[in-house]
Amino acid sequence: MKKTFVLPMLLALVGGCAQAPYWTLTDDTNRVLKSTSFEMTMPAGWTRTTTADTWEQIKIDDKPQTLLLESVTASRDGVAIQAITVTRRYADTAFPTLKKKSRADMLPIEAADLYVSELRKRYGLERLRVVSNKPTQINGHQGFELVMEFKNDDGLRIRVVSNGFVDKTGFYTINYRAPVLYYYDRDYADYTKLVRSFRQSKGAFDPPPEIPGWAKLFT
Amino acid sequence: MKRLLGLFFLSLLASGCATTGDVTAFKDANDTSNIQESEGRLWHEARSYDTTIERSGQIYEDPRATAYLQGVMDRLYPEFKGKIHVHLYDSTQLNAFALPNGSVYFNIGLLARIGNEAQLAAVLGHEAAHFIEKHSFRQRVSAKNASAFAVSGIPFASLAAVSSISGFSRDLEREADMKGYERLVKAGYDSHEAHKAFEQLAKEVKALGIEEPYFFSSHPKLVERIDTFKELAAKQKSGGRVGAEDYNQVIQPIRLEALRKDLGQDRYKSVILVMEDSNLRRYYPAAGYYYLGEAYIHRDEKNDSQKALQAFQTAERLAPNFAPTYKSLGMHYMKAGNNTQAREYFNKYLKLASKDADDRAYVQQYISSLK
Repeated sequence: MKKTFVLPMLLALVGGCAQAPYWTLTDDTNRVLKSTSFEMTMPAGWTRTTTADTWEQIKIDDKPQTLLLESVTASRDGVAIQAITVTRRYADTAFPTLKKKSRADMLPIEAADLYVSELRKRYGLERLRVVSNKPTQINGHQGFELVMEFKNDDGLRIRVVSNGFVDKTGFYTINYRAPVLYYYDRDYADYTKLVRSFRQSKGAFDPPPEIPGWAKLFT
Repeated sequence: MKRLLGLFFLSLLASGCATTGDVTAFKDANDTSNIQESEGRLWHEARSYDTTIERSGQIYEDPRATAYLQGVMDRLYPEFKGKIHVHLYDSTQLNAFALPNGSVYFNIGLLARIGNEAQLAAVLGHEAAHFIEKHSFRQRVSAKNASAFAVSGIPFASLAAVSSISGFSRDLEREADMKGYERLVKAGYDSHEAHKAFEQLAKEVKALGIEEPYFFSSHPKLVERIDTFKELAAKQKSGGRVGAEDYNQVIQPIRLEALRKDLGQDRYKSVILVMEDSNLRRYYPAAGYYYLGEAYIHRDEKNDSQKALQAFQTAERLAPNFAPTYKSLGMHYMKAGNNTQAREYFNKYLKLASKDADDRAYVQQYISSLK
């Protein structure tokens, strides 16, 4: 009797612990992704994370650190090939490896310059080249549109386009990364549609959440 | 049993020493085709490193500077002409390295800090000695022998390649110093210049707390190495080729590029260190003051805004055709609320900057907003 009782309990527990899948295929029923700080329409046929990641671990001065953020990723052929990443960073950790904060009065060109330095430093991408850097508007905010490029170890040219802005709630970036060969041009239109659909939500103005205790275990 | 084990280990050690000792240096360019099979594998690995470096765009393209460095190398080691290939490596880290196949990579960051051709020859002489004395192969053989005692968990091939970049054992570094120094003297360079380059680098490493792969940071310690070079030079008469003028003519654009790249990676401390030091600053073009100003803005400490303005004004005075200075001055005055002066500087920037300058659109936007 005891055994038959324990088994369903265990199954219920396991079932309860199982989370929603990390990735989901975007179709007409789930194209609008609403997160705490932002919402946008994801491209159809792309696979995307079901909910936003709320923290990340990065190395700052060779020491692992856990930082709060809000980040959604989508890819059509797999993240190793191409990815769109929408990220909100909190003002205090806007440029974490540079140890610089964002300020509401920061000019878009200043945010863009810091962001390029941040990428170079964080990923050891000394050879990341700025192809263009121009002002743009994102959901009514003055922002930047950066196009950057680097060659990977196999000599494949990888292009990264980043639309970003700063306000009092932090630093927002919408990135698209893909090889110049074939993929970049093919999916660029999907990316621009997503950028146009980006909206900041009321939740962006809420106080930042706590880093989950278990996430801190990684540092 | 214990004795047997001891004997076994002793024999392993002995064979290790014998094998390492068997490795003989290359005599000349022809000799480089007579390599053992295991050494050939190392060359193959080095060639694949060459390919990766080239394919991934890490070669700094400056044919004039590359030819100049190659010329100095050929002067140091004329019998190896055509076998040692010098490349500029697009990195601002203070490093240079030689691969086992004779490819020598010289980071533009290190090139920017060196004062003259004699100092350059000291570094090139050292790096080529690693190749000629087969230090990668010797280190690999030593590691292989040591592996019998499970000393190293690193694959031998990787170990050999990594040591090329991050430094060899203390003894091998010393040998490279000595051999390089002999060549420096033989080629007619002023041997009293050799230690000066390292003194400056030691100062920079200490001030910035650099822990990255760095030329000479490993064994023997930098100070000890400087002393050795000083002692060696003391035995030589002063005089010989310094080549400051030739060097600076070729390297000037690289110095400016190194400042730009340092700043682009948030190494503003390095830019400030270089441009605040009158001894170093004299080697840099006047436009370097612009980067000093930008470095102060990045540092953002007390009075840095004022220091930045002064640096920009110095750049404006000494390098009046350098466009970026005017953008920075425009931004300074825009933030200070002086719209007239801001517009003036922004307009000057647009006049001088190239048509495809990547921040042109921002400046045009700022001018419109100031009207």
